[in-house]
Amino acid sequence: MEANDTSASTGPSPAAAIRADGLVKRFGPIHAVDGVTVELAPGRIYGLLGPNGSGKTTLIRLLTGLARPTAGRAEVLGVSMPSRTILSRIGYMTQSDGVYTALTAAENVGFFAATYGVRDRSAVASALDLVDLADRAGSITGTLSGGQRRRLSLACALVHRPPVLFLDEPTVGVDPLLRVQFWSHFRTLADGGATIVVSSHVMDEADRCDELLFIRSGTVIARGSGDDLRARAGTSDLEEAFLHFGGDVRVTR
Amino acid sequence: MSGQRIAALFRRVVLEIRRDRPSLALLFIAPVLVTGLVAFILREGQAPTVDAVIVNEAGAPGEALGTALGAAIVAGGGSATEAPDEATARSMIEAGTATVAVRFPSDLATAQSPTITVITDGLDPAGDATQLAALQRAMQSVLGSALGSKSPTITHETLYGTPSDDPLTNYAPALVGFFVYFFVYLLTGVSFLRERTGGTLERLLATPVARGEIVAGYTLGFGLFAAFQVAVMVAWALGTIEVPAIGPLPAFSIGLGIDVAGSPLLAYLVVVLLAIGAVSLGIFLSTFARTELQVIQFIPLVIVPQVLLSGVLFPLASLPEVIRPISAIMPLTYAVDGLRQVFVRGADLSVEALQLDLAVLVGFAVFFATIASLTIRRDVA
Repeated sequence: MEANDTSASTGPSPAAAIRADGLVKRFGPIHAVDGVTVELAPGRIYGLLGPNGSGKTTLIRLLTGLARPTAGRAEVLGVSMPSRTILSRIGYMTQSDGVYTALTAAENVGFFAATYGVRDRSAVASALDLVDLADRAGSITGTLSGGQRRRLSLACALVHRPPVLFLDEPTVGVDPLLRVQFWSHFRTLADGGATIVVSSHVMDEADRCDELLFIRSGTVIARGSGDDLRARAGTSDLEEAFLHFGGDVRVTR
Repeated sequence: MSGQRIAALFRRVVLEIRRDRPSLALLFIAPVLVTGLVAFILREGQAPTVDAVIVNEAGAPGEALGTALGAAIVAGGGSATEAPDEATARSMIEAGTATVAVRFPSDLATAQSPTITVITDGLDPAGDATQLAALQRAMQSVLGSALGSKSPTITHETLYGTPSDDPLTNYAPALVGFFVYFFVYLLTGVSFLRERTGGTLERLLATPVARGEIVAGYTLGFGLFAAFQVAVMVAWALGTIEVPAIGPLPAFSIGLGIDVAGSPLLAYLVVVLLAIGAVSLGIFLSTFARTELQVIQFIPLVIVPQVLLSGVLFPLASLPEVIRPISAIMPLTYAVDGLRQVFVRGADLSVEALQLDLAVLVGFAVFFATIASLTIRRDVA
């Protein structure tokens, strides 16, 4: 059921879980996303890499249907976005924590579980378990540390076991040990068939992704695995590779 | 003390305020607007039209006085008709074809100090007072010539309630309505703003939750507490608990103990409908605010004009003609009238005026809920 029902969709590669076709989002004169065409397959972790303001978050908002494209179209699991019904199969961890500080950790996860239509009561406990917050389930969120809140935010995005997961800078403010745990969760989910899109401006996390998309000024300037991109750029350093593919060029419009 | 540091702080404060354009605008616009509105109402406010109905029980002497009084009222811009008896006059006031009735007693010509009775509907004390003042001016000009040395006493009766009653009876409805409206707006406005700025709305919109469901959930949640608030307010206004003297403590009573003519449940219904509309209004206006301060700054724009124009402070009939349409589009106008209908007149659901008030309040609630859910997406992230 997970990613296979995309076979019903029409298009060049029915296996793609996420598809963007000429996606453009303009805010007045600013081209936040400027013609992105990609297909992302299930069971893989994709890294959106680019500096702040390069359009990563806007791209994710277009793919989740939170923003309407100026031009082009986005599709998730074969459904054209924005679509409210498919949202029950998408997980979205926002850049800000996006949790209710007056509620307990378990109440937060429980609330989002209910909005996703999750009836299984054990889902809340297992989501909290996954992010290692089981012992803080009853704590008021406002009293949690920054890293704990980040984990809670992840639990809220995972509670309905979505086949498609968007994580906007998930590891910001998370300590190195926990970061390793996060990535091993992501890998487990991907092995289970989930499509995971992680945005980051931290290059050293990039090698944990199956594939990287370099984003600059709202366009995908390069795509490939970390090793592949380094080899093509003739460098051993991802940041240099980013520059090589045009990351340093200020595109003026 | 370092002048340089103080100067740096000074510059920063000025910069911050200068960049907060809505605050800056409100800093100047709100006081000008509110004081302008008050001045306008006070200066251009109309002497209310006196539509008098005269009941003459005194025969010929009353006839002459009635004609003179009628002429004086018409000269003042009002109208005057006659009715055969007091019951007819009262039903004319109830129907709205007359605003005030004047009854000359049968002993008008014989008694040394005859009693002339003036009747108003009694729903709005401030409105009644202006009616009486206008009528009195007209009477003064004719009484001397018609009755000579006699000095009649004038008594005031009202259709609903008794004029000697506690003045609170008339003001309590307005106050209950206003406070519920004000606090519900403030609470929802700030809560929803937090939802927007805290990133939870962004996340909520990425779930299958529909915008209408968000408005409905907020309405139910805040509606619940508004319902409690209204219950406490109504109980406080209407109830009295006598506490007997205990030891050195003297006996005292809790509650305002206002006499209410109608059903407290109907009053409750009016205020709850008003509160439901206020929830959506708060959600809608939070769209235009970026900070909690700005939600508060909307008060002079959305709350204060309602206080001025909805009959809480000034009678509707005395408002300048041009701004009367504005008071007609304010929810508080209908809530205050509905509450007065219930508290003072003792209206039940068969009274048309109350039916209208309830229908309009439902309409406002639906309208605000619709625009609130339409604007929820705006400005996310």
